[in-house]
Amino acid sequence: MSRREIVIDPITRLEGHGKIHIFLNEKGEVDRAYFQVPELRGFEKFAVGRPAEEMPQITSRICGVCPTAHHMAATKALDDLYQVDPPPAAKKIRELVYCTFMVEDHALHFYFLGGPDFVVGPTAPKAERNILGVLARAGLEIGREVIGVRKQLRDLITRVGGKVIHPVFGLPGGIAKPLTPEDREAFLAGADRAVQFALFSLKLFEDIVLKNPQYVEWIRSEAYTHRTYYMGLVDDRNRVNFYDGWLRVVDPNGREFLKFPVRDYLKHIAEHVEPWSYIKFCYLKDVGWKGFVDGPESGVYSVAPLARLNAADGMATPRAQEAYEQFYATLGGKPVHHTLANHWARLIELLYAAERMQELARDPEILDPRVRTLPTAVPREGIGVVEAPRGTLIHHYETDERGIITRANLIVATQNNATRIAMSVDKAARSVIRNGEVGEGILNLVEMAFRAYDPCHACATHALPGQMPLLIRIYNPRGELVREIRRD
Amino acid sequence: MKILILGLGNDLLGDDGIGLLTVRALREELGGSEGIELVESSLSGLALLDLLIGYDRAILIDAVQTGRAPPGTIWRWRAEELGAVRAPSPHYAGLPELLAIARALRLPFPEQIEIYAVEVADPRTIGGALTPAVRQALPELVRQIRERVRKSLSADAIPEGQPGKSQAGRTIEDG
Repeated sequence: MSRREIVIDPITRLEGHGKIHIFLNEKGEVDRAYFQVPELRGFEKFAVGRPAEEMPQITSRICGVCPTAHHMAATKALDDLYQVDPPPAAKKIRELVYCTFMVEDHALHFYFLGGPDFVVGPTAPKAERNILGVLARAGLEIGREVIGVRKQLRDLITRVGGKVIHPVFGLPGGIAKPLTPEDREAFLAGADRAVQFALFSLKLFEDIVLKNPQYVEWIRSEAYTHRTYYMGLVDDRNRVNFYDGWLRVVDPNGREFLKFPVRDYLKHIAEHVEPWSYIKFCYLKDVGWKGFVDGPESGVYSVAPLARLNAADGMATPRAQEAYEQFYATLGGKPVHHTLANHWARLIELLYAAERMQELARDPEILDPRVRTLPTAVPREGIGVVEAPRGTLIHHYETDERGIITRANLIVATQNNATRIAMSVDKAARSVIRNGEVGEGILNLVEMAFRAYDPCHACATHALPGQMPLLIRIYNPRGELVREIRRD
Repeated sequence: MKILILGLGNDLLGDDGIGLLTVRALREELGGSEGIELVESSLSGLALLDLLIGYDRAILIDAVQTGRAPPGTIWRWRAEELGAVRAPSPHYAGLPELLAIARALRLPFPEQIEIYAVEVADPRTIGGALTPAVRQALPELVRQIRERVRKSLSADAIPEGQPGKSQAGRTIEDG
């Protein structure tokens, strides 16, 4: 069989490195598109033998993109390891810092990474599909505000948490120091600005994307649609929460399928290995692995903004709830299966995070100086979870009685999403590549499928590029090897 | 004149720590000098914008895998040239874009950004040490940057073409 190979590489604007291989058949149509990433090696080995208490610092240094998410997941795993419940003020300060991080990170993605596809347009020339193109259409003032608001929020995180890469913040049972009234004022000011910024961004999305029928058609097109399960953290009233709660899974019809504490994650989540990729593909054990297919019979699930909205019954803050209702009213009810709707969902989450910052900063209890419960229990096993910007992040450590790690496992957001991302790339490739025609705009349409998830491989993998040695094998339906691609 | 010397990378990841280790070594010699700031960062991509704002000049130190030279080779580029460089590190992916943003928004951004990058062998194993070739390149890299900074301070301007386009992408053999 003769095939023509098109490699899209590197994936522009992505923080990290991935490769998409598209295989065409003799008719010039897509036979199969593969999405692959190199994987960071040796974390488990590195962690074993180290004190568990080092994990919030170490894991936050694994990733240059979302260190705050790793720091928080690791800190929560330590709470669990030492069986300590942090005082209320400590939990609130942690959530405040975490929401600040979510605003900053979501803003970055929308304007710099995902935004160019929509604000500038998916078929615009590559040279214009970037932040400069966004600024040309949205105005320079917006550019200054994006940079200004992000800087203010990053400074807030540094103020209470230390350097983002070397945080002095989370400890088992609480945090390092209480919030001062001056800190609180600074957070209130940052929160107010963040809410205005979020409202403005949603308005921009409405004006530029939703009022353009062509864009809405793209969002709703079958090429960017998968009917999968969705997972996300929810609070006691099934509303989206980034910091804590239950893991809730809804089925492709939007009905609750599972709701469990993260402690039970191994009962429900399993990992599938494919010969062509180093990444492990997560799926729901209760449904089973049926391959890269959607529908209720397939255990494929998704995380990240769209999944979180689908897995919840609503948002916990008023304006975000309004935006949530408009989202489902516009896109035809719950759940929404359109991958590109992630961009809109991300802005709704940005608004929620900003409103939640306001709520937490206004809460009088947040100034309570009691921010640490000292651990006394003998450690054995600890599991922590947060919703990272890119989806559910789980840290799991086992230790000896001195707290020295004997086993460590991380499930990062992109791993949860890996199956659906691979499906999206394949499906988008099939729908837009015909008769071997692969123009620049068409290739971007394939990449868009990928970028909507905001996949980050800086922790699932490391960021440095180059030719990672990799072997790709392709089998026919009878299990025979028909092609081997070696990259040395 | 405010000069930023920014080491990029991750010291948990073997050779990826070369940028940070270089800054640590330079800190012993240049720390406390008027107008020079030495910063280590594991942040990547667009977060660099925040770090670069407010300086007149910047030197970035990083690890790369181009596959076109043996490990330990020191590369020198200017930020403007990166678009043409094959497989630059995503630590500064989009650096030309950042420059364009800064210009468009008239942000106080370094007029000149130079990159010193070391060709590395293994930047992906957590807990790994520097590989021998990269470790051997460290003193030479420190020396080159120290000289570069001293020249800049005495002339208070980067002389054209030093290291300019004529030397772009040239490999300087270690030792």
